[in-house]
Amino acid sequence: MTDAAAETGIRRQRVGGAGGLVTWAVALAVLFGTWQATLALGLMQPELLPPVGDVLATAFDLVRRPSFLGHVGVTLAEISVAFVIAVPLGVLLGIAISESPYWSQVLKPIVFLIFSIPKTIFLPMFILAFGITFGQKVGFGVFSTIFIVLISSFSALESIKSDHVRVARAYGATRSQIAWRVYLPSMAPILLEAVRLAMIFNLTGILLAEMYASRAGLGQLIANWGENFMLKELLAGILLISTAAILFNEAVRWFERKCEHWRT
Amino acid sequence: MAEDKTNTKLRVVSSLAGAVAVRGLGHTYNTSGRVTQALADIELDIKPGRFVVIVGPSGCGKSSLLMMMTGLVAPTSGTILCGGQPMTAPDPDRVGVVFQEASLYPWLTAQDNVEFPLSLRGIPKSERAARARDKLALVGLTGFEDRYPHELSGGMKQRVSIARGLVQNPPILMLDEPFAALDEQTRISMGDELLRIWEETGKTVIFVTHSLTEAAYLADEIIVMSARPGRIIDRIEVDLPRPRTYAMMATPRFAELRERIWNQIKTQASE
Amino acid sequence: MTLDISSPAAAGRRIEPGTVRALLGLGVLVAWEVLPRAGLIPSLFLPPLSETLGALVSNWRDYGWHLLVSLRAIGVSMLIACGLGIVGGLLAGSIVSVRRIAQPLASGLYAVPFVILYPLFTAWFGIGPQAKIAFASIYGLLPCLLGTMAGVQTIDRQYVTVARSLRATRWQMISRVLLPAAIPTVLSAFRVGGALVIVGIVVAEMLTSAEGIGYLITRYRTLLDSPRVFAGILVVVALVFAFDELVKLLERRTRHWRLSTRSGESTT
Repeated sequence: MTDAAAETGIRRQRVGGAGGLVTWAVALAVLFGTWQATLALGLMQPELLPPVGDVLATAFDLVRRPSFLGHVGVTLAEISVAFVIAVPLGVLLGIAISESPYWSQVLKPIVFLIFSIPKTIFLPMFILAFGITFGQKVGFGVFSTIFIVLISSFSALESIKSDHVRVARAYGATRSQIAWRVYLPSMAPILLEAVRLAMIFNLTGILLAEMYASRAGLGQLIANWGENFMLKELLAGILLISTAAILFNEAVRWFERKCEHWRT
Repeated sequence: MAEDKTNTKLRVVSSLAGAVAVRGLGHTYNTSGRVTQALADIELDIKPGRFVVIVGPSGCGKSSLLMMMTGLVAPTSGTILCGGQPMTAPDPDRVGVVFQEASLYPWLTAQDNVEFPLSLRGIPKSERAARARDKLALVGLTGFEDRYPHELSGGMKQRVSIARGLVQNPPILMLDEPFAALDEQTRISMGDELLRIWEETGKTVIFVTHSLTEAAYLADEIIVMSARPGRIIDRIEVDLPRPRTYAMMATPRFAELRERIWNQIKTQASE
Repeated sequence: MTLDISSPAAAGRRIEPGTVRALLGLGVLVAWEVLPRAGLIPSLFLPPLSETLGALVSNWRDYGWHLLVSLRAIGVSMLIACGLGIVGGLLAGSIVSVRRIAQPLASGLYAVPFVILYPLFTAWFGIGPQAKIAFASIYGLLPCLLGTMAGVQTIDRQYVTVARSLRATRWQMISRVLLPAAIPTVLSAFRVGGALVIVGIVVAEMLTSAEGIGYLITRYRTLLDSPRVFAGILVVVALVFAFDELVKLLERRTRHWRLSTRSGESTT
């Protein structure tokens, strides 16, 4: 960039916010439109695909039902505990491994190898070992999540520019100052992305565990509704979960965009 | 020697504080069992307030020498004295450093970047801000304090980097090929900027470059280094009058200087 | 990234990382056998390696049959998912407007756990293979589609310009320029999509199904037959590795193609 361009302050902000919302609104309209059209054209029976209106009404009804909210609570608890364990643990382990060039070489390929194996197939093993309890699901959630956090941590550490560290040293920064003032901001964009991905893996793992074998939780509800052909509730539940997941994802993405220019 | 000028700006006192001395410096390093000598028999005596340029072929160790003079790297033998005291670790109160890559922190604004060394010392915000703004004004960036590095051009980023090096008012400023990544026009204007800042502040400046033109244009004294192992093969007093102008680059004296440096380096580079 | 520069002399005295990994692997196998037998780990949790392998061998007919069922379903799904995904991706990827709309949507949808839709499929298609195949096909379709679309962007613009200057038709552009240049991307998308198809089928079988390797694992789980459950899991892990090796083989075979494209260079 030339001085002139910078001095006139030309830097078009990417139209992320407004444009994004419109896309989603249009997508939603297309979804509901196709949905109703399928019914209207007789391509599907209303027993198997209730009208959009019915499903939305059921959704509104569900969120006021205490029993439903109880299940939501259970799932949220499992997700939160698993998240709070997996993310800090993963970051610390990631840092610990990366600090030693030798152990990085030894352990990183193993981490990548295990990551390439889908964790979902180990679910029966967790159930055999721990039964069908809150703890088992949290454990499975942690297991599903920790590897993506580890890998993201590796990436975050690699993104720290040695030039930035050298500057800090040249100005007399202590080790702890370097860690907080250089390492942390450098790693922030990737760590935020790690949080986002971690939640996706976490949610998937825990909902699957609930659908597979559980006494409570949203996943169990979904599986139940499916078995009993309660399509209105099933579709309502799917919509509610999807909305929550997408909102969380977009929220973290918003933060990521704010830090985008921190990327070294 | 910088001419005394009547100047209303405060100048750093040209006392012992700005003197730089290097005694018997040598440096070897070993990689996978092989020992390489990077530098040998380096002796330097730089008087306060001088603008000294170190020039040499690629890989001659001039940047390494500068890193040792800043205290970031320890030589395997010899001592470095800044202001009469040995440099065993980085000391931004004595030596301000400017690197080739501006290396500004992308998550901090220009002003925050200049304040950074002060914030490491726990100096309160109001004082930091005032000193940072003062130095940004000195490098000609008033109005750009709240810009982030990605909104600044290459030349502007280097100016912020220089302001950062000056913010603790060290008597000595060391620059490692600061203009190497800039386009030619910016290099020339930045060179003039640097000379202006030097004359206003009276600091000792040690400047490493591989550009012969830059060396002749900027320096009071040019130190020419050989290829590895880096030794000092020539010291040239530059007697061109100050302030230096672009027109001087066309004079025969300028051409002589460049040729003298080039002849030394040429024989080195072909080895 | 580390600040320490360990002295080069010490590096020579250390063991090769690869050897350490092999030793670790060996250690894990030994522990797998010894710890459950010694009672240090309950064998419900982790049956000894020999028992697991024994269960696999003695029931090989069962495993084999159900594995074939799963493989059939996987094959069909892969055809649909990767076929549609890659072709669609190539087509859509070359149209900038489609890309700009689809990509932010897709990355948003990625946040939704796809499994929650499976009961919908069983409600619509019953418990037979159709539900599984429909589910796994869509599961694998999205990443394939997106990966290919993203990959089309990395193709050297020069290739397109040259073809355009020679007045190639859109079809020629796709089949003679984009497709060959897109091979590295395509293989990468195939790898991701294919892996997801495998997972999709196995998970679907685990949840609600009457046959297939996933169903087998679940059946043994309800019988608390640990060795057989583990044997089943090992079969699936082997399947995943086998698929991965297959893709790697394909990548090696098309190496010369890849190295001559910019996208190929960036992936090697």
